[in-house]
Formats: sequence, C-alpha cells, structure tokens
Amino acid sequence: MKKIPAFFLALMTSVALDAQEIVFTPQWTAQSQFAGYYAAYELGYYKQAGLDVSIVHPTQSNPTLNRLKEGSCNVITLELIQAMMANGQGESLVNILQTTQHSTLSVFVRNPQVKEFEDLKECRVGTWTAGFSEIPHMIDQDKNLNIRWISFMSPVNLFISGAIDATLAKTYNEKILMKLAGIKPGNIIFFSENGYDYPEDGIYVTRAFYRRNIEKCRAFAEASRKGWEWVRTHREEALDITFKYIKAENVATNRQHQREMLDEILRVQEDKAGDTPSYILKEEDFNRLNDALVRYGYLPSALNFDGFTAGE
Amino acid sequence: MERRISIFKSISGRLTIQVLLVSACLFLFSFILFYEMSVKKVEEVAVQHAHSELASTINQIENVLTSVKVAVENTAWYVEEHRESKELMYSITKTLLSNNDFIHGASVAFEPYFYDSEEKYFAPYSYRGENGNIITKQLGNEEYDYHHMDWYQIPKLLEQAYWSEPYYDNGGGEMMMTTYSKPLYDAYGNLYAIISADVSLHWLTGLVTDIKAFPESYNIMISRAASYLVHPERDMILNETIFSTEYEKPDSRIEKMQDDIINCRGGEIVLIKNSEKHFMFYSPVETTCWSVGIVCPFDVVFASVQKLGNTVIIVAIIALLLMIIICYRSIRKITGPIHEFASAAVEIAGGDFNVPLPKIRTEDELMLLNESFEFMQKSLNSYIEELKSTTAKKERIESELRIASEIQMGMIPKIFPPFPERADLELFAKLIPAKEVGGDLYDFFIEDEKLYFIVGDVSGKGVPASLVMAVTCRLFRTISSHFDTPEGIMTALNNSLSENNASNMFCTAFVGILDLRTGTLKYCNAGHNAPVLVTADATTFMEVNPNLPLGLFPDFPYEGQCIDIARNTGIYIYTDGVTEAENTDKELYSDERLLDFIRNNADSDSQDMVEASFADIARHADGADQSDDITVMYFRYR
Repeated sequence: MKKIPAFFLALMTSVALDAQEIVFTPQWTAQSQFAGYYAAYELGYYKQAGLDVSIVHPTQSNPTLNRLKEGSCNVITLELIQAMMANGQGESLVNILQTTQHSTLSVFVRNPQVKEFEDLKECRVGTWTAGFSEIPHMIDQDKNLNIRWISFMSPVNLFISGAIDATLAKTYNEKILMKLAGIKPGNIIFFSENGYDYPEDGIYVTRAFYRRNIEKCRAFAEASRKGWEWVRTHREEALDITFKYIKAENVATNRQHQREMLDEILRVQEDKAGDTPSYILKEEDFNRLNDALVRYGYLPSALNFDGFTAGE
Repeated sequence: MERRISIFKSISGRLTIQVLLVSACLFLFSFILFYEMSVKKVEEVAVQHAHSELASTINQIENVLTSVKVAVENTAWYVEEHRESKELMYSITKTLLSNNDFIHGASVAFEPYFYDSEEKYFAPYSYRGENGNIITKQLGNEEYDYHHMDWYQIPKLLEQAYWSEPYYDNGGGEMMMTTYSKPLYDAYGNLYAIISADVSLHWLTGLVTDIKAFPESYNIMISRAASYLVHPERDMILNETIFSTEYEKPDSRIEKMQDDIINCRGGEIVLIKNSEKHFMFYSPVETTCWSVGIVCPFDVVFASVQKLGNTVIIVAIIALLLMIIICYRSIRKITGPIHEFASAAVEIAGGDFNVPLPKIRTEDELMLLNESFEFMQKSLNSYIEELKSTTAKKERIESELRIASEIQMGMIPKIFPPFPERADLELFAKLIPAKEVGGDLYDFFIEDEKLYFIVGDVSGKGVPASLVMAVTCRLFRTISSHFDTPEGIMTALNNSLSENNASNMFCTAFVGILDLRTGTLKYCNAGHNAPVLVTADATTFMEVNPNLPLGLFPDFPYEGQCIDIARNTGIYIYTDGVTEAENTDKELYSDERLLDFIRNNADSDSQDMVEASFADIARHADGADQSDDITVMYFRYR
C-alpha cells in the first residue's frame, strides 16, 4: 500500500527559522505549477536579491498553511480563496504577488448529456481530499444539487472504474492526467465560463512577517516574478529545472504532463490571451470573491483589500 | 539509296517497346496485387502469432490473479464469521498470506469507528518482511487515510470486488503492487470492511519480458489508465502513459485503442516511434483490464515479404531485359525480309525488274508479299515489252503522219503574198489542221486574168479526210482550167469524187472565179459556209445557194451565182472550224462574233485579217483543244 515517505516525515517537524532565511513552501508537491520559483532559485534571482531562500514542499499531513502557522516556513503559495478564508478564520495573510488571474477549475463529466452544473444533481463527483473545492461546494449549496462528493487522491482510477460520475479537475492537472490516460470526457464544464472565474495562485506571508521584512518580501516577489518571466520564454529549460525537484520529491509524473501543466499555468497568468501578465491582484476580482464568500457564509464579514494586499 | 531507320522508329524497335511496356504494366499490376496480398497475409499471420503468444502469457497472469482472488474469497467468510473478534483479524490477514505465495500483504480494513467510536482507523495488516517472515501491524492512521485510497474507496462505491491500478510501494517492498479488494457486508447489507490482498507484480515483468514473438520486438504492459507497468525503459514504468510521449504519430486507430484498453479489448495498431513505423499488438488481462502488448518494427514483421518482393523485382527486371533482347531479335528476324523487299522495290523502281527477291520459307504474310512482288515483276516485264512495241508503232505512225502532213501542206499554196506583181489583188490564206493531217483545203490560181479559188472541208478528220482533201485539191487544179464557170468545176469535182466513194466521204466547198478585169465574181457553193463580203458600206454574209456537198450524188446539178464587186471589196472565205470553235464552256465562236470581228478589222490587209482572225479564235478557245481543222482565206479586190 502507499506509504508516506520518510523524507516528508522528517520535514513535518517544526523548523526554527533563521531570521534571515526564507523558507518557501508552494501549495503542492513538486510540479511545473511552481516552475517560476524553481527557476528563480536555480538562476540565482533570489540570491541576487540578497535572499537566502530554501524551497520545501508540503506533505499530505502537514499542508502549506499548517506549516506557515507552525513557523516551519514563512513564504507560501495559496489559492486566493484559501487565503481569504484563512483570514476570515483569524489568520492574517498578506498577498505579495498574484501569479494567476483565472479559475482553473472544471468538472470532467462522463455523460455527454451533463452540460451545466444543474445537470450534476445527486451525482457522485470526485473532489480533492486536500480541499480546493469551496466554490464547487458553494454552487452545490446555492443550486441545491445534493451532490455526493467523493474525496480522492487521484480521480483517474475512480473515474475509469465507474465509481464516480464526474470529477473536479484542475485544467492544469487532472484534466491532463485524464487525457494522458486515454479517457475521453463526455463533457467538461469550466468554472471560468460559468461566472466563477476567480484568480487563484498567489504568494502569501503573515502580516507579522511582512511588517518585519517588507523589503525582503518585495524582493522575493520581484525575484519570483523574474523567475516566471524567464519560464515564459524558456519552457523546456524550465521543465528540466522542474524535473530536478520532481525527482528529488520522487513524484510519479511525466514530461508531457508537466509540459501541458506549465502551458496552462502560463495561460492563466495572462489577463487576456497574449497579454503580458500583470502579477497584480485586482481589487475588482478580490471584491467579487469577497462578496461570494460572505454571501455563502464562508466569510463572517468582508475583508479589506488594502489590508489583504499590504496596502494597509 | 537505302534509308536508315532509327531503332526506335523501326517496327522491331516499336514492337519491342510496346511489348515491354505492356509486360512491365502487367508485371507491375501483378506485383502490386501480389505484394498487397502478401502484406495482408503476413499481417494476418503476425497478428495471429502475436495474439497467440500474448494469450499464453495472459493465461499465466490470469492463473496467478485467480489464485489470489480465490484465496481472498475463501478468507472472506472467515472474517464474516468472526467479525466480533477484533484481535482475530490480525491472524486472519496472516493466514491469507500463508495461503498464497503471490500475496505480499493482506488486510481487513474496517469502516471508521466500527469497533470503537474513538477509533477512526482499524486495518490489521500482514506483510512479508525482508527475510520472508510475516509481520503484522495496524495500518490506518491520519497519515495513511486508507478510507480515501483507491483500493478501499472504489470497491466500496462499486459494491463489488476490485483490482486496483498497479502502484509503486514506496514504504514497504519498493516494488510494483496491485491490490485485490472485496467489500464485506453485514446481514443488513451495510458495508463494514474491505478485505484486500496486495500482490507484488515483480514476477509479471519477467513473464511479459520473456515473450519473444518477433526478432527485435519488445513487450509492454499497460494498466487500464494507460500507465506502463512493464517497459524496457524502467523510467517509463508508472510515470509515462502510452499516450503521454512515446509515439509521435499514431494512426487513426488510436481512438479505437483508447476504447479497447479502457474497455478491456484486444487489437493492433500502427504507431510511429523515432520516425519509424511500429506494430503494436495488444490483448487484455480480463481480470484486471490491463493490456499486454508486443511492439515490433514494421520492417521486421514484413521482412519476409520485403525480401520476397526484392527478389521478385530483380527476377522481373532480368526477365524483362531478356525479353527485350529476345523480342527485338525475333521481330527483326521476321521483319528483316521487309528491308530486302524495300531494297528490291527501289531496284525495280530504278528499272531492274529482275532483281532477286528475298527467299521466304514461311507461309505467312511475307510469302504473300513475295508472291505479289513476283507477280509485279512479271507484269512489269510484260507491260514494258508491250509498251516498247506500241511506242515503236506509234513512232512509226507519227513519223508517217508527219510526212503526210508535210505532203498535205505542200499541196496548198504556202507562199504569200502569192501575186506580188499584181496591184489589183491582195490574198492571204491559212490552214491549221486539228490533227497531224486534216480535211480542210484551199487553193487558188490566176489564169487569163481570172482568180480561181476554192475553200473546202472534207467530212471527218485525220487521214481519211486528208486523202479526200488531197484528191479534191488535185482535181481542182486539174479540172478548173477546163471550165469557165464555178458550177462547171463543182459538177466535175462532184462527179469525180462520187465515183468509187464507198466510204461515203463528202466535201463541202466554195468555188469562185473572179474576173480581175471587171470585178465579176462567179461562185458556186456546195454545202459550205457562206463567205463574208466586206465592202466599204457593209460586212455581210454572201447570198449562196446551198447545193449539196461534193461526192454524194453524181451529176447533181450545181447552180452558180454571180455578183459584181467593186474595188476594195474583200471576200472572207472560211471553214466551219472558225464559227464552231469551242471554248472550255463549249460555247461556239458563232457567226455573229465572226461578222463583228471582220467588221472591226475591215481596213486590215489580208494577212493581218487572217492572222488576227486566228488570234481571236484562240482567244475565244481560251486554251480549249482545237476540235476541227480551221481554214481562212481572205482576198481583197483592188
């Protein structure tokens, strides 16, 4: 049976951070979703900015936000919705760089007759054990769909075996995995095309850390942005760098999967197709999500944009 | 001179090329047909062979999987029987391991809080240690949340036993595993546990790799989710799927393969790998829906056909070359005599009718040609002999006629002016026979200051007419001086010509006697054209009695006539060759045209009048052959 590697267990213990050190933890295991950070590190952009950065990936039992809370890392990536909900629950996270501008959520459906969310009524739909499903749950609640959510580590086998009718799929990950497994969808419902197009990945620190290290945070954000810009023009080299981390983390994947993942991540970094990414969280997008989260009770009250983006 | 014909234009060359082209086309068509059929047959055989090899291996895999399945099934009832005894579950998992050597680990994993409301995870698990000893432990915890593992969750959702997709066991044996899980239900149909057996797939790699279906082929195994389970490159295993990288350009059957793999069906597909075509034959392990495949370069599968094809092409090229040589030589042998016939024809055309012909022994078209040539030679020889004889005869006749013509022309006055010493008479005459000799005649002489003249036309043309003309001329000269009237002369001529005229020849004639002293013109007409009288006032036909032509009826009473003509009066006497001269449109010269012509030339002297008259007749004829003798005599009394 699958076992959690000893390597991750070692990382679970809290690490006392040196005052000058930045421990950066992306929200998932090594993959090209984080190629910009790996590139910034490998190309020495962090060093050039005077930063002593180490990249440590999360584990299933000790996810990113936990690690930030316990102090074993000080800079993380999160999806916007997770960061806002964390702040709503008493955390005080500050967005120092917004990397993607669009939703990558989709529903990969077996039955071609299922064309919109309403058609998913009482269906078995796969979802991540790790979360990322707040908006689908919101829709389920809003539309009274009574969906039976089935948590998964990977949806491929569940879907092939016929155990689920549909599954949530990130366009940069599970959707590609399904394709590479030779599975043809009956249909794919994209959240971005159905009024739920919210920005996702961004870099976050705690407000306390931010106040103490404003310049360091800005330098990290700038070096990370440079890393992403390099990746945009050096995709295959970026994949080579990413695979160093994938091998170190012993992640089972393949280059085609990572290549398509990177292409998709770079696509959602653009406001519109062909635009140069702004790497800025727009107040308008923030407010749309803020309203939705308050409306469905995921936030007790609306968050302040300036506070969230350290504009204070 | 013998003409050289280029080899490509010769019959032998062209026939050879045509035969070659037809043969080459037929060969090409046959070869393509043969090749296509061979390829199809070889492909069928290869498919059969590959699937037979796969079936044998798959059978062995199925046996192992079935044994595991049976072991689990046989243990499941024991769990059900003793499910109240939590501790016994550990020994049950141990027993399961003992019962089947292929089972690497076994567990009975319970639903959350089954035994204890505080205990979310309870999954007794036994597995083989490094030394082969069996180790037992409780598997589930927060870190290993088995309730969301495929091996637990899928059979639970499907409510049936399930073989998991193979996975790499990082924590335990560091090997590829699959898990067979069976859901267990209580008497009320509620699921309470999943019993499972982990099977190491180490043995599988050897089994699949050992298939040797074709030289240079390699074998793969893929899961239902298309992940490589067995592949010659270890890095591919569980990392790559068959659709992720390896094949650059699968053919249109790729979608069928996708369906086949997911739906547990076998088949074959052509794939492009490293720019080289490959066959992939695949068959499913039905128990787990994995597929075992044999990948083989196209060239290897079809090597025998390729080799056979090459041999056939080489043999065919040699055969075609031999055929060209044999065909060309044979056709040349057949067509060779045609060259000799052509040379013989040239010789014959040059006059050598007895040139030897090629000897033909075959009874074919050439023999017919030979016979035709021989017949032609004989015909030509006889024709030429005949021609020689005819030509000699013709030459002799022509020579005689020439002499006759000279004689005839010698019988009529040819010296003009005939009476240069006389100022009171100007006379010119001309006779042009239609053939060498003719029947027209004219004559004149002066005796006792009287001009005796005659213009006549014997019926018919040629030699008979010329003889009568000669007689008439001679008679006129002999008789005229004995008569002083034209009718006397005419009667005498008639009687002489009528005698012994067996051939009924006759002669029209106009005879006149002009007294040069008085201008009295006595004349007698014997069926002849009326002469034209040209005076200062008028140009008219003379009034003449018709009378009968000479030679028809002896003693016919010819009547004479008489007029007095003034000085400067002209008399134009002619034969019907003038007025009946035809042009190419068969239009006659006519009396009217004659009168007009004479009227317009009334002032001309006699020679100019006669010469101009002949020129006008020639103008009218416009190249048409002269059909009758033409005679004109014109004199002017001054």
